Amino acid sequence: MKNLKYVFVLAIVAAFTACKQDQYYLYNDIGRLQFGPNPDLIYRTTYNLADTLKTYTFYYKDATVTQDTVFFDIYAIGGTKNTDRSFTLAQEQLPNVLNAEPGKHYVAFNDPKVTKFYVIKAGSVHTRVPVVLLRDPSLKTNTPKLKFKVISDANFQLGEPNLIWRKVEFTDRLSQPSQWTASFSQYYFGKYSVTKHAFLIDATGQKWDDDFINNLYATGGLISYYQMMVKTALIDYNNAHPGNPLKDEAGELIVFP
Amino acid sequence: MKRIYISLIALVALLSSCAKDHSNYDYRPKENITVKGMETSYTVISEKDNLVINPEVSSTDASAQFEYLWGIYETNVQGAVPVLDTLAKTKNLNYAVKKPAKGWVLVYRVTNKNTKYSQYFTSSINIVTEFTRGWYVAKDDGAQADLDLFLTPTNIIPESKKENIYSAVNGAKLAGQAQLLSYYTGYKSDVTGVLGNTKTLVLSTSKDVSTIYINTLKKIRTLDNAFFETPATRGPCYAFLGSSAYYLINGGQVHAISNSSLNVGIFGGRFLRDANNSPYSLSKYFMANWLTNAYMYDETSSSFVALSQGYGTSLTSVTDDAGTAMPAANTNKKLIYMGIKNTTYLPAPAYRYALMGCAIFQDKNNPAVKTISEIYADEFRMKFTNTPINATEQAYNGTNFTVPYAQENILYFSVNGNQIWSRNLSNNFEKLEYTLPAGEEVTFIRHKAYSSEAPYTYNFIMIASQTGGNYKIRMFNKASGSITGGPMVTLEGTGIAKDVLYITPSVGEGTYTTQW
Repeated sequence: MKNLKYVFVLAIVAAFTACKQDQYYLYNDIGRLQFGPNPDLIYRTTYNLADTLKTYTFYYKDATVTQDTVFFDIYAIGGTKNTDRSFTLAQEQLPNVLNAEPGKHYVAFNDPKVTKFYVIKAGSVHTRVPVVLLRDPSLKTNTPKLKFKVISDANFQLGEPNLIWRKVEFTDRLSQPSQWTASFSQYYFGKYSVTKHAFLIDATGQKWDDDFINNLYATGGLISYYQMMVKTALIDYNNAHPGNPLKDEAGELIVFP
Repeated sequence: MKRIYISLIALVALLSSCAKDHSNYDYRPKENITVKGMETSYTVISEKDNLVINPEVSSTDASAQFEYLWGIYETNVQGAVPVLDTLAKTKNLNYAVKKPAKGWVLVYRVTNKNTKYSQYFTSSINIVTEFTRGWYVAKDDGAQADLDLFLTPTNIIPESKKENIYSAVNGAKLAGQAQLLSYYTGYKSDVTGVLGNTKTLVLSTSKDVSTIYINTLKKIRTLDNAFFETPATRGPCYAFLGSSAYYLINGGQVHAISNSSLNVGIFGGRFLRDANNSPYSLSKYFMANWLTNAYMYDETSSSFVALSQGYGTSLTSVTDDAGTAMPAANTNKKLIYMGIKNTTYLPAPAYRYALMGCAIFQDKNNPAVKTISEIYADEFRMKFTNTPINATEQAYNGTNFTVPYAQENILYFSVNGNQIWSRNLSNNFEKLEYTLPAGEEVTFIRHKAYSSEAPYTYNFIMIASQTGGNYKIRMFNKASGSITGGPMVTLEGTGIAKDVLYITPSVGEGTYTTQW
């Protein structure tokens, strides 16, 4: 009977202590750093991996242009600080591809010309990371890849593993714009090739770069207009070259779906 | 042990038996607020009228203390969520109407402050301008086109006229001879400051086209800026609508705005004839309305082509349906006339509309051979049922053909310049319907009907004539397809009339079928 009382009392105590308001999880970890999309898209989860890869070409630039800058958005996790916080980036070598060379293809991440920009300002959790690309003559024939990542240091530890790196592919030739996606190929203009890209530029007088493609999507009816224009131009080209229709650099016949 | 079990069961029962009581012990009957003196609809003129409503408000709660809110939101909104704009927080409304002319919904919210109970009352508001109701006549002087507007403030009979209203508002006439009038309500423009559906009158001419904002009659776009790329060829233009698309034939080439996807009201590129970019030249005759595909005729290849919802980059060649009397492609015939007679809904699994039309052909090898074809068109197939026209029949030498849409199975046409004939397409019986006074010459025959508002309903056969550079449009009632009685409406003015359209705030894209 005595044991039964204990059980009963324990049950009563357990009953009254079992329910407790959930404590909100408050971030009290150290500051962490990771890349993210444009601040306008930061809370839209489908854009978490946007801008992971950027492409760039010097093709449209005047010959006097020797370098240009590509920007990526980076975010500090863990709140703001009252002081500026520098951060560290480093290149990661990719296997079996042409990796960009610091000083030749881009300004090294430890070069003082760029390290001064690798700072999260006091009171802020965001900055734009400049990656300075150099117009090396080899870009006329090559498309090196530059993968870089956040390095933990005294100010920041690493953020989510799949968000701590970014990649840029660049050349001085025409290159496939980031916005020439699989759906852009499937529904509108077919498989990308440099020859097709050059043909589009020639037929329309437009760059067919990311900005142009974004505008195609943004302006209702414009995609259809350009589809008609380039289809007509391709037919006219092939009619003007009987037996020698336009083919891409891999020898495949160029078509628009 | 048994006591342990009993204790545990009691404990579980204790912990689970208590629940907060959310029951409603208020047994009063449901409150009902009543508003009298608020009509189901109002029609007011923007920038002129005051909308005055003095309602009587009562409640089943005898001690009710009311607070009020008047608001208004627009209808026919696409691409945005309509917002309720507060007009007043008083019992009575006295609103100086400023909103643009279109359809709106007036909302009256009455709240009992004692019980916090609110009830909503609504009325439809037609905000109009002097341009949003009346007969529009498309006319020209042989070189330039303009519009006349016949105002109908009380019923379908015009009481006054505004001549050359297009040039008066826009500062210049439209180049070319007038062709067709059509009316869109989903055409996109930013005339109100934001891109949205715009009630648009479309005037096509032999050299230009003008989309015109019906509230102000100001032109929205012309051939120079209605396309992503201004066409090198200027006309002749024929604007019409099909299912979810606006079409514009310019110089025999067709362009479209697909309205089933986002667009900015700009016509796209010229449709290709086929994968070889074969040359083509479309006839001025077409068959389409808001329910159907657009069917056109390529005079270069003597073939029917079609488009669905303005999609694609190439015209679709029409194929033959079972039992057709002639092929849809390479007919070797000249198209003299084509119009749409009716549509029919094809239920599951089709879920689409087929159309019945009428065409008149002349054989290219033997021009003496003419036929009338009844057309059944579904998707991209056609079936023709042909009837020869004997040289002794009036239709053989007819001009100004037209078929009424969704009416009797009849073809109207003129003979000898001033005789109006009908031909029953079911039994080929021809009948002289009307003879114009000597000296007058028919410029068009149309049928149009409107059945939405009691004082303004009509079902007219319209006969336009010209003499000495002046036009006269007589509109007749019909019975069993024949003209009955004298003209119910007569419109007169200077110039040569080519088309007429009655516009009201309630006219929509499905009201009329644009056709010759």
